[in-house]
Amino acid sequence: MDRRTVLKGLAGAGGLALTGGLSAPAIAQGAAARTLRFVPQANLANFDPIWGTQYVVRNAAALVWDTLYGIDAQLQPQRQMVESEETTDDGKTWTFRLRPGLKFHDGEPVLSKDVVASLSRWAARDPMGLMIIAIQQELTAVDDRTFKWVLKQPFPKMLYALAKNNAPCSFIMPERIAKTDPFKQITEYVGSGPMKFAKSEWVPGAKSVFEKFADYVPRQEKASWLAGGKQMLVDRVEWIVMPDPATAAAALQNGEVDWWENPIADLVPVLKKNKNISVDIGDPLGNIGSFRMNHLFAPFNDVRARRAVLMALSQEDYMRAIVGDDTALWKPLPGFFTPDTPLYSEMGGEILKGKRDFDAAKKLLAESGYSGQPVTCLVAQDQPITKAQGDVTADLLKKLGMNVDFVATDWGTVGSRRAAKTPPGQGGWNMFHSWHAGADCITPASYTAIRANGDKAWFGWPTSAGTEKEVTAWFDAKSLDEEKAAVGRLNKAALDDVVYAPTGFFLTYTAWRKNVSGVAKGPLPFFWGVSKSA
Amino acid sequence: MLSYILRRIVATLPVMAIVALFVFSLLYIAPGDPAVVIAGDQASPEDVERIRQSLGLDRPFLIQFGSWVWRILHGDLGTSIFTNLPVSTMIGQRLGPTLSLMIVTLLLTIVVAVPLGVVAAWKAGSLIDRAIMGFAVFGFSLPVFVVGYMLAYIFALELEWLPVQGYTPLNEGFWPWLENLILPAIALGCVYIALVARITRAAMLEVLQQDYIRTARAKGLGQGGILFIHALKNAAVPIVTVIGIGIALLIGGAVVTESVFAIPGLGRLTIDAILRRDYPVIQGIVLLFSFVYVLVNLMIDVTYTLVDPRIRY
Repeated sequence: MDRRTVLKGLAGAGGLALTGGLSAPAIAQGAAARTLRFVPQANLANFDPIWGTQYVVRNAAALVWDTLYGIDAQLQPQRQMVESEETTDDGKTWTFRLRPGLKFHDGEPVLSKDVVASLSRWAARDPMGLMIIAIQQELTAVDDRTFKWVLKQPFPKMLYALAKNNAPCSFIMPERIAKTDPFKQITEYVGSGPMKFAKSEWVPGAKSVFEKFADYVPRQEKASWLAGGKQMLVDRVEWIVMPDPATAAAALQNGEVDWWENPIADLVPVLKKNKNISVDIGDPLGNIGSFRMNHLFAPFNDVRARRAVLMALSQEDYMRAIVGDDTALWKPLPGFFTPDTPLYSEMGGEILKGKRDFDAAKKLLAESGYSGQPVTCLVAQDQPITKAQGDVTADLLKKLGMNVDFVATDWGTVGSRRAAKTPPGQGGWNMFHSWHAGADCITPASYTAIRANGDKAWFGWPTSAGTEKEVTAWFDAKSLDEEKAAVGRLNKAALDDVVYAPTGFFLTYTAWRKNVSGVAKGPLPFFWGVSKSA
Repeated sequence: MLSYILRRIVATLPVMAIVALFVFSLLYIAPGDPAVVIAGDQASPEDVERIRQSLGLDRPFLIQFGSWVWRILHGDLGTSIFTNLPVSTMIGQRLGPTLSLMIVTLLLTIVVAVPLGVVAAWKAGSLIDRAIMGFAVFGFSLPVFVVGYMLAYIFALELEWLPVQGYTPLNEGFWPWLENLILPAIALGCVYIALVARITRAAMLEVLQQDYIRTARAKGLGQGGILFIHALKNAAVPIVTVIGIGIALLIGGAVVTESVFAIPGLGRLTIDAILRRDYPVIQGIVLLFSFVYVLVNLMIDVTYTLVDPRIRY
């Protein structure tokens, strides 16, 4: 008998006296094995994957709602809720047929009218969806299982748009829910996926619970990312939010949780030493660090100033600041697209390679007309990745002889202030840092940060005709070779004009207890195929 | 007494109104935008603007404030911008863990700190006194999160006696409830134990020099009786005051403790709401906290009449 047992006994006796009853029985081992306790990357603060596009919402939504197509580990769209599809020779009409037997969590069948409403709501918020809407003639239900999307011109990336894992995904909801204004939050969470959302147990900021949906009909194929048979091997998945990484690490070691999505690099050595814990790269698509400059105001409205920064920027400094000395976790990235994916290119990336040339950078900066005016650098201190990048940037700019106005603030403030188009001295800014999930940087389709269409571009509002031309070329490409060629040219144009400064490619770990099996690498945590022994 | 309590409760209303106006104004002028957080990092400025409009955040200050006050007057704290849940529901979900933590911490503080202070005063100048006061300095000096991590490491990871994190409601059993609160309560209680012990010692030292204590000793009363019946009761007013202040301060300490031990209480809700700029939740919590502060002060004043019959309202 250990001390904990004695304490339990004493407290149990006290509790009996105080509460007048027996304490709750311990959970049976079998039940514990059917419950997977997971620490997500962030708090699930809302649960509308169209209204709120945070990754954590997308990840939870993938459990509850199914999609027509799913992207697999080879980055190919595969049928999911769809049984078959046809396209006319001119590529303008797509006809889809749903699999039989699909049901929502309220027991109602999934019908074409539900799909039409869901796609309409999704398309209003998704960059690819908006492109489809722009050329849409009609989207209609033909019968209960068939629907048709008629376009004014071909859209070769249709299946990719419906399968992609970038938020927002085209999740299928019942028509009455999907008719909600896409800029307003849904209030019912009736899903079409393998798990039901237990709203009564939802404590935002603390806990979210998902329960197995008995009537879900998985595909027969082997699961691969968002495609294939989503077989649930546990009955219940509990998401337990832990804001403090040290607490999450301790809880995992103590067996109080089973799987921690994203342990911070500092704590990984401790976890690796624990014989009960497995640690591996979570998402092989990783992340791309970003140093974003404001193209509207001096000094970065001059491409020479932006290129001067790029010439002096050491990606190794940034990566070591973010992930530490574990060289397996990062690599230099002389480009904008995710390494080891089909469209990856280093065309035009020479400026980021080799020894950093501060003398040449200073000379180019002087040629741009920079004369010591303050450069407002927004740095969110509550995000370890942005803080690390901000510190490196401040040092870099000082070495270049720039006058840095370092604004240490929180992410909420950066998120708001970066939208200001006023001059830096009047509430605007010159630069901020961010990072992009590698899964979002595989193609130009969902890569908002690479767009350079001026006023309509992402924060910083870059204008680069060459970049935009190649984005269009990629959308029009009819083969992988054409796509590769377009993205190569795009990479060069975006580096020449410095749409933004990539600070490197980095990976993160995931960790789970060894009694859990089936954890797959991917851009989001996949719970199908994951089992747990007692 | 009853009319005094009623007067005090009525007097809280203008205080709450001023707090409400202050909080609303502060949030209005503070940087940050919940629409940006909702829209996500890849959202276009147009999407952000449409979300702002749908939330009513683009309306003028006075209209936003007016509609908020109107709702408050109808007992409606509003709806969270993010979760779409009523603020009262969210506060209700989080009240239990925070109240539990505060009650256990308070009991621990009183049970440990008052006897320590009494003993320190009794043995003033001795090694015991110095040891207790040394502990008090230690308790003051260590931040809550440091104590928390140390306790979690020793008692959860190394000894495996207690869990690292979480909260179990009392209706699921007394021990499951208590075992989750022991470490957080010790971590949070350290500074209050130090504070109350020092105040108790100081108050007791003054009382122990009074004539009636000398008389009690001359009558042959035992040391325990003198210390805990005669002296402690007369030293109680400052002790009750500092315990009352401690309750108010516990709310602040709970923010850190709840984060370290992953307790889903009001402290974490506050932090989350501030980081996301969830205005209705922040406003609801601040109103609640200000009410609790006022209530605690009232309770302290009423308690004075119990420990000192000379005080009457």
